[in-house]
Amino acid sequence: MINPLLELKEVSYKNKNDFTLNKVSLRIKSGEKIALIGKSGAGKTTLISILNGTLKPNKGIVKLFGTEFDKLNLYQKSKISTIWQDLRLIEDLSAEQNVNCGLLGKQSFLFAFKNLLNISSFNKAHQYMKVCHLKKSIFSKNIRKISGGQKQRLAIARALIQESDILLADEPFNNLDPKLTSYFKNLLLITKNKTKIKVPNTTLISLHRLDLLDGFNRIIGMKNGEILFDIEKTKLKKYHLNEIY
Amino acid sequence: MNKLKLNSSSITFLPIIVFIPIAYELFINFHIGGIELFKEFIISALNPKINNEIIFTLVKRLNETIFIAFFSWLISIIFGVIFGILSSEIFYKILNLPIFLKRFLNLFLTFIRSIHEIIWGLILMQIYGLNFSIGIIAICIPYVAINAKVFSEQIENINLKTIESIKQINGIKSSTLITLVWTPVIETFKNFGLYRLECAIRSTAVLGLFGVGGIGTSIFLSFQTLNFRELWTYLWGLAILIIISKELLKNFNLSNISKKFLNSFVIALFSISIFSLSYFVYYIFNKNEIPFISINNLLISNFNFISYDFLKLLFETIVLYLLSTGIAISFPPIFILILNNKIGITIIRLISFLFRLIPPPVLILILLMFNDPSISLAAITLGLHNAAITSKLLLANLHNQDNKQYIALKSLGAAKRSSWLFGLFVKQANSYLAYCAYRSDIIIRETAILGVIGSVGLGWQLQESLSSFAWEEVLVILIAYSSIAIIGELINGKIKSNLT
Repeated sequence: MINPLLELKEVSYKNKNDFTLNKVSLRIKSGEKIALIGKSGAGKTTLISILNGTLKPNKGIVKLFGTEFDKLNLYQKSKISTIWQDLRLIEDLSAEQNVNCGLLGKQSFLFAFKNLLNISSFNKAHQYMKVCHLKKSIFSKNIRKISGGQKQRLAIARALIQESDILLADEPFNNLDPKLTSYFKNLLLITKNKTKIKVPNTTLISLHRLDLLDGFNRIIGMKNGEILFDIEKTKLKKYHLNEIY
Repeated sequence: MNKLKLNSSSITFLPIIVFIPIAYELFINFHIGGIELFKEFIISALNPKINNEIIFTLVKRLNETIFIAFFSWLISIIFGVIFGILSSEIFYKILNLPIFLKRFLNLFLTFIRSIHEIIWGLILMQIYGLNFSIGIIAICIPYVAINAKVFSEQIENINLKTIESIKQINGIKSSTLITLVWTPVIETFKNFGLYRLECAIRSTAVLGLFGVGGIGTSIFLSFQTLNFRELWTYLWGLAILIIISKELLKNFNLSNISKKFLNSFVIALFSISIFSLSYFVYYIFNKNEIPFISINNLLISNFNFISYDFLKLLFETIVLYLLSTGIAISFPPIFILILNNKIGITIIRLISFLFRLIPPPVLILILLMFNDPSISLAAITLGLHNAAITSKLLLANLHNQDNKQYIALKSLGAAKRSSWLFGLFVKQANSYLAYCAYRSDIIIRETAILGVIGSVGLGWQLQESLSSFAWEEVLVILIAYSSIAIIGELINGKIKSNLT
């Protein structure tokens, strides 16, 4: 049996009074393209936060590459990248500086310092920003001064530049027009990657739009902090959707 | 009968009742012995001494002042940033360090912040003697802690989600930390750091009065010899220095400067500060070893609390603080309300300028020309000095405020004063009171200076204990001062959070 990249065993997470995740078990294998669906408040964001180590579960075990999360070193942890629903970019830094933040896991302190001083000679960010359809004119702009769609693409660029093995994305297509949505879906699922950049080959994406499910090979449906179904895309039926919506 | 309803506006005016006991005590202590001297002092303001010798001394003293102020500002900003980061929660979150270390550091910073630079100066002078380094270190000690508090407050405002997102990238901890704190540190430096240079110039001038050097020392020596014309030459020199530095900083628009330049500037400041600090540490530990022995006496203390009326002095200090704060809060709005015309505003601007320019120790010495030393005299001095600062802020805010409501009330036939009160001041009352709460933190610390000069409260006892090298007494007084300041700060913090 192939070892999973990421694994949750009986994970529960309690937020003040209520369980936002209740005894969730999950195994994510290399190369999987997983869509996470469910109503608002179903626990999708909490699940993503537990998978990337931001939240610590009250009960259960989280493993990455077969090792418990707490025992991993920074390099191993940096194999996961995340696109947050609320983007979480650093205000007052420029677009380029924000994208460069994605390299903190692979670069030295000097790089971080140079990035803040705006004297970084690293052109990698430009390459990723171009792939994410960001024009050169916004590279040096403060992110307060750019549009919601541009910020969304910046958040995607910041996650991709990490060149991680696993990408966790929470509603990554918000604020994007249909053409860009299609472009980024194809890019993240590597169905049509004509670019030279490295895209993680294991992806878990939380979605609200069911018309975007094409291209995924596994669908996880969540309701009230529990996984109601975890099936191959080809086996998804209408009653599955009725269960969670 | 209608009951008095307390709101921000009425709370602003109510403290004026402190003038009743103050006026009474000042009246019974009044004498005309120094009226002639006072007249000479006033006339000298318009006729300062100007000759080659005094101009040369003035320039030399101003250079010393700039030197002390600039270096103390520089060091206190850099170490303020470092301690600001160390005392913010984000540092412990990223480095996974126990949070009790932060609490311990905060307690330490609160203690050193609560004691005025003058007290630090007096203690250090007693140990190491008179020199420039003492001035710089004395200013730096509380300034580092004050700056650290401001930087730390801004760093604490970083969005928790942003912290999580950068932590999740799993870079090395130092990279994560610097990436997160950089922007709030730079922004705080732009908005607050430059203003602290002006504060450092004023503090240097006041420290100079106690012999540290710079223009303050010349001011004090001129006063001691009653050479008022010379005194005013130095005072006007100080005024020019403050005005020039203010204008330079005002025109030093950081947003027009390229980020690269600003960043290089910050690195340069940091390097100079580290160099300067190492020099001073070397200086202290290599040239002045003997006086530390007297501090060891603390351990074998035979100090007796009952040997002087400690509680009475403590009570006097608290009364001095309350009376001064009352004046600082209510004097400016009442003055503007009563003299609400162009001439009145010009007068208050002029008074405000003079009371800010003349250091409080000199001010109290002037008032002592026709009054005996008392709490009221110290309170009126400290109160008016701080009222000058609060009035400047109030006037600036009133000037920048939209006056539609004022015009509307006047057009309804309301009297000019009523229109000002309800159309302009009511809107400002909240923020004005919040600033006064912040100001009262400073007043608590400043009671020490007036105490030393005006022979009231703990300040007087501190001077006595320092002169007799009674270090155990000095320590008790420092703890007392610090306790008053910390309690006051906690109360003012509550008031500020309710008002904003």
